[in-house]
Amino acid sequence: MAEKEFNRRDFLKISGVGVTALAGLKMIKRAEASSSVEGAHQWAMVIDQSKCTGCGYCTLACRAHNDVSPDISWNKVIQVNDINGKDVFIARPCMQCAKAPCVDVCMVGASYYRPDGIVMMDYDKCIGCRYCEAACPYNARAFNWEAFTGSNPAVPEWGQPEVERRGRGVVEKCSFCYQRIDRGLQLGMIPGVDPDATPACVVACPVGARIFGDLKDPESNVSKLLRERVSYQLRVDLGTSPRVYFLPYGPEGA
Amino acid sequence: MKKISMKFPKITPWIIWVGFLSLMIAAGVAAGLMVFWKGLVVTNLTDLVPWGLWITIDLSSIAVAAGAFSLCAGVYLIGLKRYHAVARTATFIGLIGYTMALLSLVMDIGRPDRFWHALVYWNKHSLLWEVTMCVTLYLTVLLFESMPIFANLEWLQTRFPKLTDKMKGIHHYAPYLAVVGLGLSMLHQSSLGAVYGVLKARPLWYRPDISVLFIISAVAAGMSMTVFVSMLSARLSKRIKVDDSILERVAFFIGWILVGYLYFRFWDALSMTYTYDPGRTEGLKLLTSGPLSFNFWVGEMLLGIVTPMILLLNGRTRALPFWRMLALALVVGGVVAYRWDTNLAGFLVVLSYLPGLPAVTYTSYTPSLIEFMAGGGVVAYGMLAVSLGVRYLKVVDHDELHEEEHAHQAKLVEAATTGD
Repeated sequence: MAEKEFNRRDFLKISGVGVTALAGLKMIKRAEASSSVEGAHQWAMVIDQSKCTGCGYCTLACRAHNDVSPDISWNKVIQVNDINGKDVFIARPCMQCAKAPCVDVCMVGASYYRPDGIVMMDYDKCIGCRYCEAACPYNARAFNWEAFTGSNPAVPEWGQPEVERRGRGVVEKCSFCYQRIDRGLQLGMIPGVDPDATPACVVACPVGARIFGDLKDPESNVSKLLRERVSYQLRVDLGTSPRVYFLPYGPEGA
Repeated sequence: MKKISMKFPKITPWIIWVGFLSLMIAAGVAAGLMVFWKGLVVTNLTDLVPWGLWITIDLSSIAVAAGAFSLCAGVYLIGLKRYHAVARTATFIGLIGYTMALLSLVMDIGRPDRFWHALVYWNKHSLLWEVTMCVTLYLTVLLFESMPIFANLEWLQTRFPKLTDKMKGIHHYAPYLAVVGLGLSMLHQSSLGAVYGVLKARPLWYRPDISVLFIISAVAAGMSMTVFVSMLSARLSKRIKVDDSILERVAFFIGWILVGYLYFRFWDALSMTYTYDPGRTEGLKLLTSGPLSFNFWVGEMLLGIVTPMILLLNGRTRALPFWRMLALALVVGGVVAYRWDTNLAGFLVVLSYLPGLPAVTYTSYTPSLIEFMAGGGVVAYGMLAVSLGVRYLKVVDHDELHEEEHAHQAKLVEAATTGD
């Protein structure tokens, strides 16, 4: 009888140690933290608030190229201020965070990092739990509450979207037009320089308020701008390390 | 004799109860089909409030199921054998609770056809992944733990006596199942709080206490539900015998858990009142003086914690079935209110990401009729399952003392002693 007691206690001890070890292991792995693997390129976007007029062409171009429903904006243009009678806007694509909360919380790994830093969505994996929507500080994600059917009013008659339309029940978001980048690179173009290899919103901006390029290349437009000009990112206090930079409004900047 | 059985069954309170629940379930199934057909657009959920009534039902049914792991741990690990019959009731309620949670989740996800992705594609960083794994494994444990209960089904006993013998034999492994159940439950009951607690973008949630509060409140709610169901069953049917001294002890223990729960809630809430923290301060205000304040002060605090705490710790009220049952029901209600408030308070405050001090705006959420119908269906299913279990599986039964299980135990001891 005494021996039986001992056995059970032993078993408990072993289980206890096991569970603690497992939890410990998990925490270590967590501390290593998922962040994007540093690939050959690190794409980033700079948005110049001095130039932005809030026309909304970027949103429209985004809708047309990515077949985004009129109910959803991957890229939002918001009026933030009124300085000396001039309206100041901010455009909010997905921040493509280097430490993205959405990637951390996605239970099936439908949100993931590409080696070039783009936070991607695997629409075939997403189960639509919407945990990422709760986690994203930028409200950059939108859920397909209903199926988007019929023609897209943003798509002109002479063109067609570059990516497949998302179905009902998954969360979608801006992808830095990865399809344009990938195809452009294949054809030997430079994203950020050649329009065909650059995100649609950047190309469509009539005032050149958006600049796109490779942070890994010190001579790229974004690298130069970030060296020369004062810039900021949104909610850096959260430790997300966004890859979208803003040049603040100022008369000298224009 | 045949004539009598041919007659229309007499309308008894039991028939009315089952009929009522069946109607609720039918409405729920209709609503659920609407959800699958039309999509989640039929809900009042938005991108700002992506989780609502169904997540509350999901969290609450898992909380109510927590009596299973805590009482099984008490009986098989701490050695409080006297409470065996209560643990048995809790195990069955636990099983039903987890199936309720799964039902509401299948409706809540955008792609129910991909529910299996959660098991196949792993992101180990995600708290929801951890919850999914633990819940799936624990549901398996509960199924095993419930086997001896299902073996009580008369129909099964007469048809497959060997099978029911085997099912009863699983009782041998109860201590091991209890260890596994304890580990898995400690993990996911807390992680359900941490699902909210790790989101830095939501300052009201972003704190470690929330996982501790989730598990304590779950144990209180789970034990309360178990004792409540036991007492109610014994009052409604003369055939069901309970040992009230055992139930009274558990109720007393729940009273003390409430003391601990209140203690943690107090410091948790107080610590959030110091300094202005954008989002957190507003969230707390929603609870203490905003649209959720009635839920918070009356539902959670006064009726959910303080009143039952007094009723259960005071020997005189605890001895009276009415007051004890009222207290137990209040505990469950309070924990449901806590889940609802926690989820909503975090979502209703919308924190701006624009430069400068984060500005706060508010959004709102009221469940749609379809959400109520589907949610009501899930709850009715749980009630029906427990009612059937009480009636046909002797889920509440302190009388029989499960002679066969004891016989097995005796054999085991005999084998162990002769083996030496």
